[in-house]
Amino acid sequence: MSLAEPAALPVATSAAPRLHILKRFSNRFKASLPAYLLLLPSLVFLALFTYGAMGRVVIDALYQRATPKAPVRFVGLENISAVLADPAFTGAVVNNLIYAVGTAVPSIGLALLFALALSRTHAVNSALRAALFLPVLIPMVAASALFLFIFLPNVGLLDYYIGRLLPVLPNWLGDPDIALYAIMIITVWKNAGYYMLFFLAGLQAVPEDVMEAAHLDGAGPYQRLRHIILPELKPTFLFVTVIAILNAVTQVDHVFVMTQGGPSNSTNLVLFYIYQQAVEHYDVGKASAATLLTLAALMGLTALSFRTMANREGGP
Amino acid sequence: MLFSRRLMLGLAMAGSFASALAFPALAGEGPTEIDLFFPVPVDGKLARDMGSLIKEFNETHPDVKATAVYTGSYDDTLIKTRASIKAGKPPAAVIMSANFLLDMQIENELTNLDPLIAADGTSKEKFLGQFFPALQGNAVINRSVYGVPFHNSTPLLYINADKAKEAGLDPNKPPQTWAELTDWAKKLTKREGDKVTQWGIAIPCAYDYCGWMMETLTMSNGGRYYNEEFGGEVYYDTPSMLGALSWWNDLVSKHKVHPPGATPGPAVSTSFISGNAAMMMLSTGSLTYVRDNAKFAYKVAFIPRNVRNAVPIGGASLIVPAGVEADKQKAAWTLIKWMTSPEKSAWWSRATGYFAPNMAAYKTPDMVDFLSKNPDAKTAVEQLDVAKPWFATYKTVPVRKNLEDEVMLVLNGKKQPKEALAAAQKAADETLKPYNAETSLKLP
Repeated sequence: MSLAEPAALPVATSAAPRLHILKRFSNRFKASLPAYLLLLPSLVFLALFTYGAMGRVVIDALYQRATPKAPVRFVGLENISAVLADPAFTGAVVNNLIYAVGTAVPSIGLALLFALALSRTHAVNSALRAALFLPVLIPMVAASALFLFIFLPNVGLLDYYIGRLLPVLPNWLGDPDIALYAIMIITVWKNAGYYMLFFLAGLQAVPEDVMEAAHLDGAGPYQRLRHIILPELKPTFLFVTVIAILNAVTQVDHVFVMTQGGPSNSTNLVLFYIYQQAVEHYDVGKASAATLLTLAALMGLTALSFRTMANREGGP
Repeated sequence: MLFSRRLMLGLAMAGSFASALAFPALAGEGPTEIDLFFPVPVDGKLARDMGSLIKEFNETHPDVKATAVYTGSYDDTLIKTRASIKAGKPPAAVIMSANFLLDMQIENELTNLDPLIAADGTSKEKFLGQFFPALQGNAVINRSVYGVPFHNSTPLLYINADKAKEAGLDPNKPPQTWAELTDWAKKLTKREGDKVTQWGIAIPCAYDYCGWMMETLTMSNGGRYYNEEFGGEVYYDTPSMLGALSWWNDLVSKHKVHPPGATPGPAVSTSFISGNAAMMMLSTGSLTYVRDNAKFAYKVAFIPRNVRNAVPIGGASLIVPAGVEADKQKAAWTLIKWMTSPEKSAWWSRATGYFAPNMAAYKTPDMVDFLSKNPDAKTAVEQLDVAKPWFATYKTVPVRKNLEDEVMLVLNGKKQPKEALAAAQKAADETLKPYNAETSLKLP
């Protein structure tokens, strides 16, 4: 379709009377009925296991009991204000922000670096790509168990080598000043290879002719990177950033395995806080309230970034 | 036509399949089917041992068909049990961490076992009399039996005997007091300049272990940690706990014979096995691991005292969740009695390294033989004479964590023991508030 005939698009006919719209809507529904029926089985399961659970969280967040034997009663938004007033929750939010920035920036940086270095396909690069992708294939729980031994104070792999250089050996997971950064190292190690894949795909989309033209015009490697490759990769950047931030909130397996949020809550992330409220405090109301807050933040973030992405892609 | 008959048929089949999943065929006559939830706190081999134990039970009890369901760690087992109680389909029996029982009883999640004991024609005293007295505190709540001890542990002092001899110490006369232990730890610490190449002693501090070690040190300093009679009180801001935490802190920052920071249990045992730490305090549950992996002579000893010899117990009990039907309760009770009988108790103890809670287990020929070959396993049993219950309060885990977070700050040199314990007390009192509001502070 050429740009000269936009008037022929069906959108132009939308200014019809109300009745017609209704009729058209029902016609459209009739037309897509088989599609809905085909989707029905998955919709049933989605409703049962996803939307049902989410609805339950909303309801649970509104109820609380004052004492262990007291009946559960409706408290409205009290659970949410209790969560917001809990220093452990604000602590977990701050930790999660540090964690999100501290894992997203280095892993995206590394991923871009790897992708740029390995963008041409030949045997050596394929082998290197596979090597860098390997951590993605290891389940987080298994990786954490491995790193538990790497981080062992005094006898672990890390201390064995670094120990020769440092006067005092750090207790990687046992010192509240260091533990969060130790956890971050694993996440970067685990995710950089995954994000590299997106950048490799993004690099394939950089138009060959523009690059050639730039080359002929005498643009050096840095100028080509700065003015052609990076702008072309903008959608990839946005997408990977969203994924990285989502990961920072939803992947806490290593916290479970390695630190349980400790020492002294220094590695407590939001999802782990929710787990603690639900399981250790047995406070379903507060756990549901914290879940709602997290969900709202995540959905807001996702909507915002995808809208920005759509705008940029749709723009001239 | 897109919406064809074949599609309808497919949908109908999918629908009937889904309903078959949702409504399983009603069970006919036959053996009573029961589930047993069991955690594996130590290592994977236990799951296999549990499988063979249950198989043997089913072969000898045709009227009951028990299925062992592996449910992860102690904490996971609590979650899954609570979830299944809420769903209205609780398992008939669960192996539950002994200090969760009180919290579950407060939440009305346990079946009182008194009627089942009475139905056997036994008295409560006679039934409990089979088990070591130290274990009864965590099984009896408000004078009713809610749990049957299954496998238990106490903390022990492990000593690298080779290193002790090297330092001119006699491993056959292990330290008995904190003063002697401090002295040993100093002699066993090796330094190159400021750098420590061998630590005198290591004590674990990660969530769960840290609270248990604080209870150990506090008890051997004359203290109690919590109110054994009432779930709404802990004694954190007390001289006995202050002494305990100050001594631990001194080992780290004053004497510099204990690695700084909070070190989890597996890191401590690895450190001991590799020779990096010459002594450690750890559970009897690690005895089998140390026996299998230590490439040097080792000794185990009682936890040294400052005021008195006293240690808490650890481990798990068998419980029946609330809401189990009468016939399943009876089947579960048969299983529980069988599993805690002297022979089975002794067998499980040898397989796992925990000690057998049933005293008669130590009179079985196999066990007598085992103890004569492994005298270190005997030390753990002897220490039971001075053992006391494991802390259990309303919301045990958060109340414990209130203390642990502060202890970790002290071990990292970020807080002084006195202010840390005051903060822990304040936080714990806050956690316990709802329970006190309903019990001790509910006035006429």
